[in-house]
Amino acid sequence: MLEVAGLQVAYGAIRAVRDVSLTLAEGELVTLLGANGAGKSSTLMCVAGALPAAAGSIRLEGKDVTSARPETMARSGVATVPETRDVFPDLTVDENLQLGAYTRRNDSRGVAEDRARMLEMFPVLAERYGQPAGTLSGGEQQMLVIARAMMSRPRILLLDEPSLGLAPTIVDRIFEMIATLKDSGLTILLVEQNASKALAVADRAYVMRLGRIEAEGTAAEIAAATDLRALYLAG
Amino acid sequence: MVKNLTTIAILSGLILVMVGVTNLLGVRLFDRIAINLCIALVLVLGLQVFMGNSGILSFAHIGFMGIGAYTTAVLTIPIRMKGMSLPDLYPIVAGIELSPYVAILLGGLVAAAVAAAVSYPLMRLSDAAAVITSFALLVVLHTVMTHWSEVTNGPRTLFGLPRATDLNLAAGAAILAVVAAVAFKESRTGLLLRSSRDDEVAAGAMGAHIPRLRWQAFILSALFAGIGGALWGHFITSFSPKAFFLKETFVILGMLVIGGANTVTGAVFGAIIVTVTFESLRALEAGINQAKIFSEQVVGLTEIVLALAMIAVLVLRPGGLFATHEIGALIRRRVRKKKDG
Amino acid sequence: MSFFLQFMIDVLSLGGAYALMALGLVIVYGILRLVNFAYGELIMVAGYTMYLTSGSGLPWLVMAAVAVLMAMLAGIATDYVAFRPVRAKSVTAVLITSFAFSTLLQNAALLFISPRPRNVPLPEIFSETVQFAGVITPARNLITIATAVVMLALFSWLMRRTVLGIAMRAAATNFTMARMLGVPANLVISSAFAISGLLAGVVSMLWIGRIGAVVPGIGLEPLLIAFIATVIGGMRSLQGAVLGGFLLAFMDTTLNFTLPQDLLKFRDAFTFSLVILILLWRPQGLIKGPASGQRT
Repeated sequence: MLEVAGLQVAYGAIRAVRDVSLTLAEGELVTLLGANGAGKSSTLMCVAGALPAAAGSIRLEGKDVTSARPETMARSGVATVPETRDVFPDLTVDENLQLGAYTRRNDSRGVAEDRARMLEMFPVLAERYGQPAGTLSGGEQQMLVIARAMMSRPRILLLDEPSLGLAPTIVDRIFEMIATLKDSGLTILLVEQNASKALAVADRAYVMRLGRIEAEGTAAEIAAATDLRALYLAG
Repeated sequence: MVKNLTTIAILSGLILVMVGVTNLLGVRLFDRIAINLCIALVLVLGLQVFMGNSGILSFAHIGFMGIGAYTTAVLTIPIRMKGMSLPDLYPIVAGIELSPYVAILLGGLVAAAVAAAVSYPLMRLSDAAAVITSFALLVVLHTVMTHWSEVTNGPRTLFGLPRATDLNLAAGAAILAVVAAVAFKESRTGLLLRSSRDDEVAAGAMGAHIPRLRWQAFILSALFAGIGGALWGHFITSFSPKAFFLKETFVILGMLVIGGANTVTGAVFGAIIVTVTFESLRALEAGINQAKIFSEQVVGLTEIVLALAMIAVLVLRPGGLFATHEIGALIRRRVRKKKDG
Repeated sequence: MSFFLQFMIDVLSLGGAYALMALGLVIVYGILRLVNFAYGELIMVAGYTMYLTSGSGLPWLVMAAVAVLMAMLAGIATDYVAFRPVRAKSVTAVLITSFAFSTLLQNAALLFISPRPRNVPLPEIFSETVQFAGVITPARNLITIATAVVMLALFSWLMRRTVLGIAMRAAATNFTMARMLGVPANLVISSAFAISGLLAGVVSMLWIGRIGAVVPGIGLEPLLIAFIATVIGGMRSLQGAVLGGFLLAFMDTTLNFTLPQDLLKFRDAFTFSLVILILLWRPQGLIKGPASGQRT
């Protein structure tokens, strides 16, 4: 469904991503692991269209989408949850959700149904419905961002470090949710530092180091490879 | 070092050639254009010293030009004329009548002193806040010039300045400005300031006190502007506060942007190109108006062309004609290539 | 009592106009970080449209609607000419192109119309006065207050209740994230300029209503007012802009009543010094806007 080949991403003279190739099949949950600064987030943001590719290609269902605009990627069914947990702090929870459905704003009935479903899935959001999103706690904001991404009914979900900086109980909740989303048939690319959690839900895994893919395999293989664990995986 | 001297030599040579040709031709119109160009050079180089090195847009520059012009006016208008030109002038200064050459320098110094006094806190600001404060400073200076009747004759035209600026003086000032601008750019302050332009955080981490560096550049820039304004005052001999506002800001800014704000070469070539274009267009306007082709006077054509040129340059060549390298460096590189090839 | 009422009407009518001016500037600055120097010229464009259509015999309201529409188009043109081609470059480049576009429009008016003032048609009611509760006031003051209320309500509805408005508010805090949700950058940017033009057009009708004529430089004063009001109110906050407009009107009106004539002529110097002081103290303006985000 998604094919990334020979991808490079640069910030000025610094190349954060030097050579990344990966694939993502329909319904698969693939995780991209690696230490801080390995280039995971840059890879993900480049797929999302938020960063231009310096070289290489990204194909979505066979169509070339390299360096497409972020709004084009969203319209093609790619939803992104960035690491920075970007809720719109001045907008209410409801408005955040509404914007999540921007690409299907003409389908008001479907949007209303989904909104009800999200509020059911995340009761906490239902309680804070009319509040500015900036007043939510970190865990609540993370749920809001995921719910917002789901409002577009994406075909691919890009998740960047959803567990970052959250309390352990909340992290468990988030990973439960990710598992539920996977079971519903959604294709997910999950960038994580918390390797054990990520490998527990993933089908396959890639390990990045200094901008390159160093290893790939099924989640079980990567989890079993103790040398990798010692070298690259934090947590 | 050699390349800097090459740059200075080429740019000064350009000015000297222009002076030579103008003197040879002996046409009064060309004389006027050449003097205007030299004064514009002083002003644009002054703006380059601040904007080019700090990367911050300043709208206040022309305000300091006004300070220089009014300072020299107050100090040089003959005592017997002061009663007419500045009837309400304070008695302490009413009795002063200095040589224009001294007063021109004082004009620059007063402008620099005012800049030093008001601008230090402003130098902390970046982005939109910096732009709006410099714009606000221009409005403040303009308002004061327009209403401080005792010293400026208010919004009315102030007349009676002795004519003292000839081509040699203006050209000399322009050459000095070139030398000073190159010297500042290559000085320690200039280098640190330029590194802060490219990366504020890194320069700060290197121990550069950025507001202080900017402040020094701003004062030097105001000195140029004050001298430029004073020279202009002794050339035009009568003016009103209107001469020091947005229209003139736009012209000077246009020269710098088209030439390339980051280089002294850019400032010089920008001033030359814009002045020549302006004078040709103005001649065209005058011709059209004299021929009475249209029922109304044709005005504004020059500004329209300049505005379009500025937008085109920023779109196509954002750094201007000379974006990064001075002409000295460019020529030396070409020479070296030829030797190697 | 009647003095107080008079004072209130003065402040509210002046403040209403100021608030709309400030809002038009902030809507663009808040989203794009662009201090749009060509904003005043949008007001000028609306004014000249009134002058040019004045012989058409159309009802005044139709002419005014055309004028407002032209201001919106001029706003969108600002985007295409001065903003879009350089938006990825530097902040300074964008400022300079907007300054250049402002000069371009002004001089186009000089060249193609005239440097001299041109009369603009005004409806009868603008020159009438109204008397109530012991106060005599020009009807246009009350019209200004009513228009400001309607425009502010419309604006607030647009920003809170429509998807486009919500998207614009989102883009003001985090443009990239909004784009990743599918909000097209170009749509948001053009809309911001169009709304800016709409506000400028309406302000133009009220502003020119005071003088009844238009000159090429007419946009400068509203631009300066919008600057001050936004700096007072917080450069990125929409509510702040409105508040700043009313505060400035309050200050101006109070100074007009209290300052001696000799000092009154320096009023601009005072207000702009105040602007500098506020920015030194709080570079984001008095009222903090939404959390800052990057430009596209």
